[in-house]
Amino acid sequence: MRRSRPVRGAVGTLAALGLMAAGTAAVAPAAQAKAPVTLKVLYMNQAGYTPAVVSKIVAQFNASHPGIHAVVTFLPYPEMHDAITTSAAAPTATYNVVLSDLIWTAEFAARGYTIPLNKYLNKLANSGAIPPAIWNGFKYDGKIMAMPFLANFQNFYYNKAILAKAGFTSPPRTMAQWLHQMEVIKAKGIVKYPYEDSWLQAEGLTCDYVRTAAEFGGTLFVDGKPAMNRGPALQALEWMHMLYAKGLAAPASLEADEPHAAAAFTSGQVAFNTNWTFVTGLMDSKATSSIVGDGVVAPFPTYNGQGSGSVSGYQGLAITANTPPSLRPAAWTFIQYATSPAIIGQHLQSEWPIWRSLANSPQEKAILGARNVAVYEDNLAHVQNRPIVPNYLQVSAIIQKYVHMAIAGQMPVKQAADAMVQQIEALPAIP
Amino acid sequence: MPAEPTPPVAALPPAVRRGSAFTRLFQGDRGVVLAFLLPSLLLLVAVVLLPLAYALLLSLEGAQVTVVGGHGSVSGSFVGLANYAALFANPGFWQALRTTLYYWLVSILIEVVFGIGAAVLLNRRFRGQTVVRALVFLPWAIPTVVNANLWSMILDGDPFGGLNALLMQLHLTTAPVVWLNPSPVLAQVAWLSHALTAVGASLGMNWIIVGDEWHTLPIVIFLTLAGLQSIPHEYYESARIDGAGPWATFRHVTWPLLGPVLAVVLILRTMQLLRAFTLIYTLESTGLPVLSITAYQYAFTFGAFGQGSAVAFLIGVLALLIAFFYIRVLFRTEFVA
Repeated sequence: MRRSRPVRGAVGTLAALGLMAAGTAAVAPAAQAKAPVTLKVLYMNQAGYTPAVVSKIVAQFNASHPGIHAVVTFLPYPEMHDAITTSAAAPTATYNVVLSDLIWTAEFAARGYTIPLNKYLNKLANSGAIPPAIWNGFKYDGKIMAMPFLANFQNFYYNKAILAKAGFTSPPRTMAQWLHQMEVIKAKGIVKYPYEDSWLQAEGLTCDYVRTAAEFGGTLFVDGKPAMNRGPALQALEWMHMLYAKGLAAPASLEADEPHAAAAFTSGQVAFNTNWTFVTGLMDSKATSSIVGDGVVAPFPTYNGQGSGSVSGYQGLAITANTPPSLRPAAWTFIQYATSPAIIGQHLQSEWPIWRSLANSPQEKAILGARNVAVYEDNLAHVQNRPIVPNYLQVSAIIQKYVHMAIAGQMPVKQAADAMVQQIEALPAIP
Repeated sequence: MPAEPTPPVAALPPAVRRGSAFTRLFQGDRGVVLAFLLPSLLLLVAVVLLPLAYALLLSLEGAQVTVVGGHGSVSGSFVGLANYAALFANPGFWQALRTTLYYWLVSILIEVVFGIGAAVLLNRRFRGQTVVRALVFLPWAIPTVVNANLWSMILDGDPFGGLNALLMQLHLTTAPVVWLNPSPVLAQVAWLSHALTAVGASLGMNWIIVGDEWHTLPIVIFLTLAGLQSIPHEYYESARIDGAGPWATFRHVTWPLLGPVLAVVLILRTMQLLRAFTLIYTLESTGLPVLSITAYQYAFTFGAFGQGSAVAFLIGVLALLIAFFYIRVLFRTEFVA
């Protein structure tokens, strides 16, 4: 077995380990003392913590825990929620440990698909070892529904060579500057479309809308009520439509998902891309990029030029409620192992770590660069969570439909925003 | 002790004389027929009728996934026709219905016109007939998901998308077109564009029909070709002797005798089109919600299995009504002829 890389630095890490161990000391040995059990894990086929990385973690776990045999299944994102739902519908769970997106937290809690992990995590959640913003993505009604695993969020990416050709030496800090840079790049014919985003009618579109509203200094929901037809959320929708109508955003954005939009950026076709952290690795690899050395990650431009504005895509590991009680300690043992600083610390090149001690570690700075670490922390500090409500997927489906129509000009922006609010308010609550 | 005499059959009570109802069921030719049919019937009940009944039951309940005491299930209380009422009050359902009907109608028209046309041509003898038949059948051999990804690359909205690159290199267009965007068609003619949008047409849907027909038209052609080859050659000989031209021969010989085969083909395709999912979902995600995607979204994404089942059941009813129409029209054609 390959030896794990020692993780240095880390009073915080040791403290975190201690807290996790304290929370589970009574559980883990019991699980390992029993006869070998099979633990079924559902994970997402994605760019951050790839299937290869997770398979390695699972192999390490199996080797070090002879009493438990973890088997992992990988599915693409669009199939994850539905696989968890059908698993919940079975008398006994198809999957015992599942990767849970933060947008499912409220639904899974309200419907009881996964179990609260408070008894394991209360102390850790209050320790400060993981930023509170990440915990908030997995809390609903006082229950902690998952242990954070991925601290994914969006970054602003630009091509400095294209900006230089257009006569700009620094990235935009305000929305007005960004618009000006895009107009100049297009007018000079450096690229046909300066920007591409993932506006396919899917969850990525909701993420981009939430993030754009954050750039304008607001959110889609105010005091728990939909507020798309006024203030920053309406400005965001007008902005997205304007970019499309002026030919500043590539028309292909309307059918692009995140990897597609990232490919347009890394192939040098567009100057700007707003995307998840995986683009950082993608743009600097000769295997996946033709702009190596020219791609730069930066804080997002904002309306007033202050701070940044991002959107979260946190993912955690949860235990399904129809996992037999006898198997739950083993499930927690796996979660504890996979999310531990020691394991996360082995894969710093794959994903931004959930642990503060690792995010500030010399290893992370060596991998990402001190400047990029600062940018990441800035964007993470200004992240907006999508609404944590039990009927989120219905809310998001309505948002996707009308935002897509508004961008494409199939419905006036204000009319689309009003329709969104009206339909969201009319949704029946999930019992 | 002398054996007790066996009473004559005629003297037995009627119930005993005829045996039990189960025994009688398998007597004579009927028994043989039933014995052969029974495995298929059991399979039909297990995989079609029971799920259908279960779907109907779920559609009358506020069914959702629940996990109680560590055991998961789909359950809910009886709500009568509330799920159907909620659907009919939802504009999104009617939009999905219109889009589905547009998809079905345009696809079926293409298949009838081009399917029969191609089958008639392939039924004639010509040099290289076998090779041409094999080439025509080739797209059918491609798996649906592969076909979806193929069209995804052809219709990509970027300049490097297959169709865009071709058109731009030929200088037929100057900017890439987002072919899969569900935008109105013929936007230059406002009234026509609105009318077409109202019946479910969109640019994205039209290209999905193209992608689907490229894949499925071959099976329509070959089933129709099989039907054509079953028509006795003497009928055409008689028509020729009577002086019938190609159109009259087609109208009075081919079409009526093709009716039953065509009915089977159209019923098969109608069922496939009404529940089409893979190509549309792969290319558009939920951006073009036809009925099957709406049913899936309700059940598995929103967790509302009652409403999802109601949509699924309505798809079944719609297919049944259309199949009934085909049978009435096409089989009657044969008898009139």
